Amino acid sequence: MPTSALPTQTLLDAHIEGRLAFAISEVARQAPDRLAIIAQAGSDSRRTIDYRTLAVAIAALEAELDATRPVGIVARASRVESLVVIAAACGRQHVHVALLPYDSRDLVGEHNDWLEVDDSLSLPAAPTGGRMRLEFETVPPEVTVATSGTSGPPKLVDHSWDSLLAAARLAEHWHGLGWLLVYDATRWAGMQVWIQAMLTGGRLVVPASREPDTVARALADEAVAILPATPTLLRRLLTSGDAAVLEKASGSLERITLGGEGADAGLLERAHTVFPKAKITQVYATTELGEVYRVADGRPGFPSNWLGKALPGGARLSLRSDGELLVRLSRDTAEVATGDLVERRGDRYEFTGRRSDVIVVGGAKVYPKRVEEVIRGVPGVVDVRIYGLPSGITGELVAGEIVLAEPLADGATPESIRAAVLAICRESLEPHSVPRILDIVSQIAMTAAGKTPRRAR
Amino acid sequence: MKPDVTEAVTTAIRSVLHDTGRDTKPVASTMLLAADIGLDSLDLAQTIVLLERSLGIDPFRSASTSRTVRTVSDLVSIYDHALASPPT
Repeated sequence: MPTSALPTQTLLDAHIEGRLAFAISEVARQAPDRLAIIAQAGSDSRRTIDYRTLAVAIAALEAELDATRPVGIVARASRVESLVVIAAACGRQHVHVALLPYDSRDLVGEHNDWLEVDDSLSLPAAPTGGRMRLEFETVPPEVTVATSGTSGPPKLVDHSWDSLLAAARLAEHWHGLGWLLVYDATRWAGMQVWIQAMLTGGRLVVPASREPDTVARALADEAVAILPATPTLLRRLLTSGDAAVLEKASGSLERITLGGEGADAGLLERAHTVFPKAKITQVYATTELGEVYRVADGRPGFPSNWLGKALPGGARLSLRSDGELLVRLSRDTAEVATGDLVERRGDRYEFTGRRSDVIVVGGAKVYPKRVEEVIRGVPGVVDVRIYGLPSGITGELVAGEIVLAEPLADGATPESIRAAVLAICRESLEPHSVPRILDIVSQIAMTAAGKTPRRAR
Repeated sequence: MKPDVTEAVTTAIRSVLHDTGRDTKPVASTMLLAADIGLDSLDLAQTIVLLERSLGIDPFRSASTSRTVRTVSDLVSIYDHALASPPT
């Protein structure tokens, strides 16, 4: 595979805000025929674009920004290539940009006087009386993104280009690879994927949907090397994706990067079996903090001796008495409560879920992930979700959904498997943790961020 | 069509007993939920969720339901009453 001809040092020499646009233009100049973004909107309309197209669009948008100098740009685009162009152009032109997913677009209030750019990539005329950027303004341009809203409503967070690009891997062996984008391109996790692909002359492969078969086919057909995903997305792919297609995909898959939720040992083992060549990295990052650490040893959680030590990125981890993980990014920054709960298991700390995921049944706490781990071991069950259902009697009640194997083993019926699940829960869990409502569904629900929802819908 | 509340309550209680691995004995309206059938607060909470599914309402979610529920017929009358009163 020919590597991108963009030397890392040349890229690092470019000003950080302009680095994205610079990388796209440079690679376009050197290898204009290589694919940059492969999207499959619909079954037959396969659009391919090359870096040259992106570079030209960035230049055109920059020319307009030069003429109007708006306070900021709100990207209303739905296509990944448009988002890339808008972000790159705004960065190089020193214009503040907000990339907002659909569920966060009513948060735009404070950005009322900003201009909107959609997939047409043309700038509307500046509103009369609208604030224009002043010549002497020295505030560095930032990038506004929305949190995923896993716990509570989404909120807007401002990032510097520094923090946005900090996690990108720029070493030569990361160049020219195929990246799968299953995340929403406007969310932190998704942005990390396309930024990484664009900075390293990679191919960004965007499947038409998150359906396991569609994702599996995109991996196999486009010979994807890197799969960034949440444990929920990966579990779905492994349990419901076509086995033959997954086997083909395993030929090219070099790395799986998990983030957004804690992964359990069962999932990590299964991923290793299906994709034996792939290195599995677990990234701990939040929209507010950016990347905190990564673990690559294929085991859940992180080593217990990491507590209190400075990690490679400079962050320090500590625990609150209730098990909530606290992060201090550097000596100069405040300690941040992450909302993630961990528990010591042997020489590891493993994630037991979000503090807000905890289901409180008559005053007793239930950790949904723990219940899910028990149920995943039941033969015939391929996936499970445990969530809290409001109750006027006990505050909340433990409820669950299970997906059954297809076909079922001889002699098994959906009712017999459901009964077995409840029986095993009664044996291994405290009474209040046993699911009181247990439905058989064809697929587990997923949030926009690709995580398992923890509340009744 | 008026749903058969007694039937729905009986079915829900039997489902709870079944799901929790207990014998599904016959349920009569005069029976005490706790002493005769053996329902605890979790069982009752589960019964109410099942009834919300079959009858479409949860009278215990609104604060106005403060009646004591001791027997099967207490439960039936709460749902009868809630179904008869117009939704607020």
